[in-house]
Parts: sequence; structure tokens; C-alpha cells
Amino acid sequence: MNRLWQFFEACGRFISAHWLTLVILIVILAGFFALMAWRHLVKYSLKRLGASVLTLLIIITVVFVLLRNMPEEGFIENYDKLSKEQRLQKLESLGLTKPIYEQFWNFLKNLFRGDFGKSTKYSINRDVMKIIAEKAPLSMILGVISMALSLVMGIPLGAAMARKKGKFWDRFGTAFIVFINAVPAAVYYIFIQLYGTKLMSIDLTFSRGDPVTWILPIFSMSLGSAASYAMWLRRYMLDEINKDYIRLARAKGVPGRKLMFRHVFRNAFVPMIQYIPASLLYTVAGSLYIESLYSIPGMGGLLVQAIGLQDNPLVQALVMIYSCIGIVGLLLGDLLMATIDPRINFVKKGGVR
Amino acid sequence: MKLFFEGKKRRVEDNINQAAKYAGLSDEELFTLAEFDPDAGEKTGYSNYSYWRSTFRAFLHNRLALFMLIILTLLVLFTFVQPLLPDQYDPLKVQTNPLNNSKIISARAPSTTTVYMSVPAGTMLYAKKVDEEWYGVRNSGLTIQSTVTTKGSNLVYFTVLDYGEEWTKIEYEDEIYYIKKTDTDGALIEFGFRKLTKPEKLTDTPYVTYSNNCIALYAEPEDISQDGDYLYVEAQYLDVREDGTAVTKGETELRDYPSKMPFLLGTNSAGQDLWARIWSGTRTSLWIGFVVAVFEVLIGIVVGIIWGYVRALDRIITEIYNVIDNIPTTIILVLVSYIMRPSISTLILAMSLTRWLGMARFIRNQIIIIRDRDYNLASRCLGTEPARIMVKNLLPYLVSVIMLRMALAIPNAISSEVFITYIGLGLSVKTPSLGNLIIEGKRLITVEGQQYQLLYSSLVLSVITISFYIIGNAFADAADPKNHVL
Repeated sequence: MNRLWQFFEACGRFISAHWLTLVILIVILAGFFALMAWRHLVKYSLKRLGASVLTLLIIITVVFVLLRNMPEEGFIENYDKLSKEQRLQKLESLGLTKPIYEQFWNFLKNLFRGDFGKSTKYSINRDVMKIIAEKAPLSMILGVISMALSLVMGIPLGAAMARKKGKFWDRFGTAFIVFINAVPAAVYYIFIQLYGTKLMSIDLTFSRGDPVTWILPIFSMSLGSAASYAMWLRRYMLDEINKDYIRLARAKGVPGRKLMFRHVFRNAFVPMIQYIPASLLYTVAGSLYIESLYSIPGMGGLLVQAIGLQDNPLVQALVMIYSCIGIVGLLLGDLLMATIDPRINFVKKGGVR
Repeated sequence: MKLFFEGKKRRVEDNINQAAKYAGLSDEELFTLAEFDPDAGEKTGYSNYSYWRSTFRAFLHNRLALFMLIILTLLVLFTFVQPLLPDQYDPLKVQTNPLNNSKIISARAPSTTTVYMSVPAGTMLYAKKVDEEWYGVRNSGLTIQSTVTTKGSNLVYFTVLDYGEEWTKIEYEDEIYYIKKTDTDGALIEFGFRKLTKPEKLTDTPYVTYSNNCIALYAEPEDISQDGDYLYVEAQYLDVREDGTAVTKGETELRDYPSKMPFLLGTNSAGQDLWARIWSGTRTSLWIGFVVAVFEVLIGIVVGIIWGYVRALDRIITEIYNVIDNIPTTIILVLVSYIMRPSISTLILAMSLTRWLGMARFIRNQIIIIRDRDYNLASRCLGTEPARIMVKNLLPYLVSVIMLRMALAIPNAISSEVFITYIGLGLSVKTPSLGNLIIEGKRLITVEGQQYQLLYSSLVLSVITISFYIIGNAFADAADPKNHVL
């Protein structure tokens, strides 16, 4: 565990130090991959990439403009203790009194250097990126485990639901999915925490050294994605089952189990691949709810704390990281899907008449 | 509903009767050759298929959804009726005992009555007026003789004769009284000895001390009333005399607080009535959900129809959509609520900003499917204006989709509201909503005996979100013509 831990910590540090390089690398890799595989994919990938970059730029601009309209307390540490002149001086040294376009240019320059400014409330005058780099590894390790757990729970459940439609597992799974989708996550997370800790007679909060306290956060974190995997897999598998080639295979006498796994499951899994990168990246980035519920010192909990403290630079950095993760996740999902699924045809142009 | 069931029952009965009628006949009688009828030969079949009737029938077949619909309707109706019911509390008012100004904090639930005890006619009580309707009484004229209240520099001096475990015997204005230890401990220890010689131990009696607190003086070391607090009686049951005593008229109920209505679910940690807060919160959350749904539908339809119908714009809007769709919705939600002051309109804005996107795309796809059908081509050839085609020819096809999205928008909005409140950007406690009720309850989960506060609000919230979800999906299934073949 310890060695694994160190490994993850090192990964986290590396990623937070070179995030932009990594994003660019991933994008280039994906592009290269696509170039090698299919030529018609290139056009699609470039277009998709362009959209992502544009989105990122929009987000950066929006975040910049919105946060500059926040009250100035959020940018200066010890705001109440300073006199008016000192505040002005501080604002000047941060470059916040310059004209807005100049500020924006500096902001972009700093971003590309990986400099997100210094924390003003959470941990005064420390580099925001350093704070995040400390927190990221724990979120990553929890995220990876819970992602694995959700796949292990969701995929067999979805398959079982599709195989025996209308039987016990289908009913159980449907109830589960409806519950998870309809009830806000916060509510069932709180109840899991309340009764789970009571049942296992452990503390409400997470502690790094005690493996028993890892169980509940990981379990709750995996519920949401498990439900969505089960739901989509069931839907796609039922779609497949009703297709002609399955009927033919059945008529030919392919045994049920083999039919299910060789044909139905494999074909139904393809459209699901699209969601997996985004889902992985999101869980790795840490859950806002879970981390603050169990006081896990991770990235999600950090955002909640930073918002509570009105620490603008920290909020800004975290918001950017989360949106970056979302965008890259979607991009990877689409590219993966386009690479893997041979049915997607880029040559034909449909829709617009 | 009853009519519907009866009608169905009658139909089934008719079928059975007919079957019974034919059952006695022999085959020859049952199967006879029909005579040739030229009119019947000319008859053409027609279907009395009606989209909405079929949708309704398919929906009624889903028992669970029907049940949920009934529950939800009752619940929503009740949330709006609740403030009109008699004797309801204000969800924001901090409930206090008016005569000693203590907040009624964390009253236990469930309490179904406010009656503390009943006394027969003719009981003498010390009464103090609260308002026109209510009197505060101290039970049994024998025990509490009077109260001594002092303010500021007017201290009350008295001699402690016997410092006991529960009761302290004192002499005050040449009379012997008992005071409750719980009432006066603070006074004795914190304020008592500043100017006087302090006894070595409190039990070294007698000594003189003073208090600047309100003290109840009892004639006997016993207290029948509730912890020496006032109980409350309706004015009509009391015959109040000038000296402050009162005699009960008939069997009289003494109440915990001046209201006939109990705190059905108790009070929260600030002393507010949870029952009233839950319904008020439900109203707020439903309102937010409803407005978000309306915005989603309005913007979604307008953009979707233009996107789908106007070919020149298709390309541009699709590109814009591709860019905007990449932005994680949670981030927008967090960002907008972070920047703006927490209020209902902020929440509505933050949620509406992204939700219409999916709706617009769905509408656009539907429009592209149906816009070139023959009846629309015909319409266009006959010179109908595009606006009219959109409203009259295309929109009716989308009604079921719109209703589904509206039904799903509400649980979604409630979830988002809980999320925003959870990360500390939601409505203040002054505007109760299901979100901040849940968070309020969550803060109390470590307090033994207070965990029910989370339970009730979560229960109402879950019933609402689950039933909207199930009804929405059942309706979507029912609205799908594929499911109309019954």
C-alpha cells in the first residue's frame, strides 16, 4: 500500500507540475493515433480538437471576467487588517489595477507558465498549484479504486438485467438505478455515512492509515457511475438482442451464454467506451461531496473549502482544472469511440439537406 | 378515478355476461352462415385511434407510475394547502416560551399534542397574561408563591438558610421560600458574592447573597409544574382575578406553549418549527424546479426549432453547440453561484444557463426528422408562413418530449439545489428549501436524538424526486406510439 501510495503521490506531483504539457501531449498523441489509424479520422479529430480548445479558451475568459468582478477581499490576504493605501498597494502589486486587457494578457501568460497565483485565505501566500499538488494524489488513488469498483458492480448488474429481463435482477437493478438517479447524491451519501459508520462502529471521518475507513467513501463514490453503467449497458444490450444477427445466431444454435458474451455484450460495450474516459477523469479528480463529507484531504474537499473561504485564486485554479478535465474527458471519449467503432462513417455527411 | 374503475368493471362484466350467453349454445347455433350484405361490403374500416387517449391508457397501465402520480399530486396539493390550515407556524419565526423568553430548541418529534396535563374546574393558578387569547400559568397556587425579577442595579438580597441538593431554603422579606437549585445555581455562583463576604462553602449556611436573575420562589420544596416554567391556558377557560390568581372554568388543559398546534416534527436547533419549514422548503424547491423547467422548455424550443428548421443557421448553431456542450455543467453551476449573491433567482439562472442545451438538441433532431414529411411539404407549397408551420405543424409533435423534460427537470433542479447548498453557495436559512433543510439536518447527525431532522426532509425530498422521475419516464414510454398497441 505504501509503495503504491508513493507512486500515486509522485504521479500527482508530476501531473500538477506539468499539466499543460501533459494536456498538449495527450492531444498530440490522440491526434497522432488517429492519423496513423484512419485518414478520414484526422479531419474529425482536428475539428473535435479545435472545438475543445475553443471551449477551453471560452472557459478561461469567462472565469477571468467573472472573477475580476468579485469583491476585492477575495484577492488580498488579511484584508480587514490593512489600511486603504496598503490594500491599493497590494492590488497594484497583483496587477489588478491595470486595464482589463493587460490583466487578461498577463493572466494568459501566467497560465501557460503553470502559475495560478497565490492562495489568499486557505494557506496564505502559498502557491496554489503546490497546495493542489499536495491534495491530488489522494483523490487520484480513491478515484481509481472507486472507478474499478463501479465497473465491477455496474457491468455485471447491467448484463444480468439484460439477460433476464423482468426477473429479479432486472427489477432490483431498475429500482437501484431509479433511486440513484432520482435522489440527490448528497442525501444518500449522508445516510450511507451515518448508518455505515454506525454499523461498522468506526469514526465518521476518514483517516489515511486506517483501511477500514476507506471502504465507505469508495463505495459511495462508485454508486453513481455503477448505476449509469448498468443502465446504459442494459439499454444497449437489449437493443442488440433484438437485432437480426442475434436471432440468426440463436437459430443456428449458438449457446445462450456464448451468444450473450461473444456477440451481445461486446457489441453493446462499444458505445459505452465513449463515457469511460470522462468518468475516469472525473472520479480521479475527486468527489466534492464525498471528500468534504468524510473530511478527506483531497481536491474536491479543497474546492468546497476554498469556496467557503472565498479564496479567489484557489477557486479559479480548481475551476479551471475541473473544466479542463471535463473537456479532455469528452475529447478522449469521442476520439476513442471514433477509433474503435468501425460503424462510424466519416465519409458520408448526413443531416443537413 | 372511481368512474374510470367502475366503467372498466362494467365492461368486464358485459364481456363475461356475453360469454355466458353464448356458452349454452351449440356449435351450430354459434357458427351460422352470414347472409350477403352489399352495404357491409362497402364499409371501410377506420381507426378511432387518438394519440392522447392511447397515451393516457398506456400510462394508466403502469400501476407504479399511477400510484406515484397520486402520491405526488396529494403531496404537491398539500404543500400549497398547508399554510392555509389553521394554527400553522411561521417557518421563520423562532419559537419561544413568551414568559421566560427561552427558545424552544430541538423539541423532540413526534409530538402530537401540546397538552401537558389537565386540571379539574376550580383549580387555583397564578396567571400572567401573554396576549388576548393566552395566559401563562404556574401550576398549583401552593408551590410557586411569586417570582422575583431584578434588572440592572436592583439586586435582590436574601439569606440562604439551607443549601440542599435540589432545593435551597431562603429567607426573603421575612418569609421562608424554597428556590430551585437548577434555577439559581448560576446566580449564586456567578453573581452572588461580589460585594459580600463569601462563605467558604456554599453549604456553610446561613449567609446573605443576592441575585440579579429572575427567580421563582416556591412555598414547598416541590414543583408540579413543568420545570418551574409557565404552562399555557386559553383565556376563555380562566377566571382571572386582580391579584394575579385565576380559577379554572371547567376541565382545563394546561399546554406546553401558547398554541393548540403541536410541533408535529419538533423544532430545529434554532427553535423553528420543522413541520412548517419542510413544507415551506418544498414550496421553494418546487418553485425553483418549475421555473427552471419552464425556462429550459422555452429556450430549448425556440433555439431547437430555429436550429432545426432554418437550414442556413444549422451549421453555425451546431458548431456553437459543440463548443458550449463541452463545458462541464457543474462548473457553470458552481461558478455562477460563487459570483452572484445567493438567492432563488441566482439558483434559477445558474441552472437554466446549461439545461436548455440538451433540450434544444433533442428538439432540433426531432424537427429535422419531421420537417420534410409530406404534410409539411404540402403546407409549405400552399404558402403557409414558416412561423405558422413551426407552431401548428411541428410543435404538437413535441408535446410529449416537452412534458418529459419538464418532469425530469424538477428532480434535477432539486438535486442541483442540494448540491449548491452543500458546497456552501445555496440559499440562506432565511429561505427554507429542501436543500438547506438537508444540510441543516446533516449538521445534526452526530447529535444523538436529533438525527430525525435529516430523516423527514430527506423523505419528502426523495418522494418528490423519485415520483417525478418515475412519472416522467412512464409518461415518455406511454407517449411513444410503439407502446400504443394494446
